[in-house]
Amino acid sequence: MKVYFFGTCIGSAAFSESLICSIKLLQHFGVEVIYKKDQTCCGQPSYNNGYYEETKKAALFNMQLFSEPYPVIVPSGSCAGMMMHDYITLFEGTEHENMAKEFSQRVYELSDFLHKELKVTLEDKGNPVKVTWHSNCHALRVAKSVSSSKALLKSLSNVELVELEKETTCCGFGGTFSVKEPEISKAMVESKLQDILNQKVEYLIAGDGGCLLNITGALEKINANVKTMYLYEFLAKRIGIA
Amino acid sequence: MNPRQLIHEKVNDKQLNKNLEYVMYQLQGNRKKLISERYGDWEALREEGKKVKQNALSRLPELLERFEKNATANGIKVHWSKDNDEANEIILNIAKENNINKILKGKSMASEEIGLNHYLEKKGIKAIETDLGEVIIQLIGEPPVHIVVPAIHKNRFEVGEIFEKHLHVERYTEIEDLNRVARTYLREEFHQLKMGLSGVNFAIADEGAIWLLENEGNGRMSTTVSDIHVAICGIEKVVESFDNAVLLNTLLIPSATGQSVTTYNNIITSPRKESDLDGPKEVHVVLLDNGRSGILSKKRYSASLRCIRCGTCMNHCPVYHKIGGHAYGATYPGPIGEVISPLLFGIDKYGYTLNLCSLCGNCAEVCPVKIPLTDMIRDLRNEKVKDNKDDILGINNLPKNNAERKNMEIFAEVATNPKKWQRLMWFIDKFAPFGKPFAPFINGLKQWTTCRAYPKMDASFHKKIKNMQGVKYE
Ligand code: SF4
Repeated sequence: MKVYFFGTCIGSAAFSESLICSIKLLQHFGVEVIYKKDQTCCGQPSYNNGYYEETKKAALFNMQLFSEPYPVIVPSGSCAGMMMHDYITLFEGTEHENMAKEFSQRVYELSDFLHKELKVTLEDKGNPVKVTWHSNCHALRVAKSVSSSKALLKSLSNVELVELEKETTCCGFGGTFSVKEPEISKAMVESKLQDILNQKVEYLIAGDGGCLLNITGALEKINANVKTMYLYEFLAKRIGIA
Repeated sequence: MNPRQLIHEKVNDKQLNKNLEYVMYQLQGNRKKLISERYGDWEALREEGKKVKQNALSRLPELLERFEKNATANGIKVHWSKDNDEANEIILNIAKENNINKILKGKSMASEEIGLNHYLEKKGIKAIETDLGEVIIQLIGEPPVHIVVPAIHKNRFEVGEIFEKHLHVERYTEIEDLNRVARTYLREEFHQLKMGLSGVNFAIADEGAIWLLENEGNGRMSTTVSDIHVAICGIEKVVESFDNAVLLNTLLIPSATGQSVTTYNNIITSPRKESDLDGPKEVHVVLLDNGRSGILSKKRYSASLRCIRCGTCMNHCPVYHKIGGHAYGATYPGPIGEVISPLLFGIDKYGYTLNLCSLCGNCAEVCPVKIPLTDMIRDLRNEKVKDNKDDILGINNLPKNNAERKNMEIFAEVATNPKKWQRLMWFIDKFAPFGKPFAPFINGLKQWTTCRAYPKMDASFHKKIKNMQGVKYE
């Protein structure tokens, strides 16, 4: 099977290793990965600020770039949600309406693709470890891929998943929200940290670059003793392919 | 205080944050538990609720007229008001005609919206709140912090202090004692009750009746012991049938407080009849438009009028938890407030509240009548910045944010130009590690690093994937 891989902007700017691991996972399960070198960003930065015309340009660029009928695999629920849901809204009633519909139904969040389409089984080769999980808001509510992400995590035999008390509460990232409303964002991420620290785990795992940048940065600032890792990097390491 | 200062003050008010967060998660938990234990198919119920409200809105003029006809036949006096001034004046005149200088009030957000207490006070009439939460905030001269639980930002110790200071009693901290103090104070007031005021939860067109929900019994006192009962009713509160109201009630209460029913359900069909032993001699319903028909005419936002004011969007909003209702500077705070305040009262005045949202989507997920709040908040941001301005109140008075626009144009340019994009990634890869000393001077990074370490960037992906085995790089 052939698929397109969409690296996302935050992924390719800050999580190169995790993206490589995402591709290794796909390859490991027999998928041939096509990487379009001209790819950029899904358009969320302008979309969430209400700049719809600017966003349409970025969206159209992507839809045209990923033109063959292969699945588009996105290692982020936030960007996947944008591409599978919001592109349709953006182009409703325009000449690109059908194109958006066709494109959107081929977009998959990576854990959904692994769990629901490929139905993979993961053989855990790592040592026993305790982790917790943060749900990205758009993965949870737009792409709806969180149940797959957690199912994959839970399937690892040596990993104990301790759930956060307020797992589904936003970490305060919200893209440009974090710099437009820095004080509120700060208060939000501090609550998230408290919850994470209360769980006494070694790792915080998340499936989205934005939340990870936010939470990792905040944990580092207070010199907390919890490591963070992108879900796909964690999975790849656990099954011994990275 | 300007909005920025207000938000700054609230977000740094540790006691406020603590009180709010504690209660909000409790309300969330109650709701979740009740729904999972007692409701077979909550989602189907939400869908029904949405349809019932949408249907009523699509026939609003017809239903309002039917309500008026049936209520009038029942002996209720129906008044129409297009805005604050008209509504306030109608209520003042009812009071004046009956030589009344004191009104007792049950909880009503519509009365907050029209600034009734303030207006009446200027005309020499005292409006006394009787809902416990409203009593507390009236004593300290604050507006409600939440549409359902108006004094939820104050814990019992703070309430004890407020009662001590304003009601001149001992300083109590136990809930029973505080209730007793409030009861004694209110009994005094209820003795002299002539005119009672309330809000309306549902106006039922087929029956010409109104339905009020409450937990304390003060609403029943205000509406039955008085000679005159006046109910203020936003025009969007009208539904067709009693069955419709029952369905919405079934959605409202679990969403609001996690109860299955409220302690009191007051369904008022008429003033006192000859054979009745009690009840008011006159019942008035003041129908309030105040910008609602404007919203109804806007396709993008008319669904916001489905709101049944349960408040659960606030209970689930992580931003509201951190700043509380006062930071929004409007009668209606939280997610629904961000949508309706700019539309009802002007986007120039309340447009800034649209930034108070990380678009996490929790509100829309729980709204019992499925209002797509997050999408509407984003759409309203779009109203602020788009070229062809729609007819939104105050839209032409908004200052232009040229810097943001420029940034977004640059973003679109780079996001559609692979060369520029790759150059940007190359730049991050090369220079991000050296940016740290400059972080406090770079807008964006400055805000970011107030509570986070300098971000560890790793933009070597492009370099790596080029040579990755088995990848078709094209
Ligand atoms: S918008 Fe929905 S959740 Fe918010 S108060 Fe109204 S009905 Fe309740």
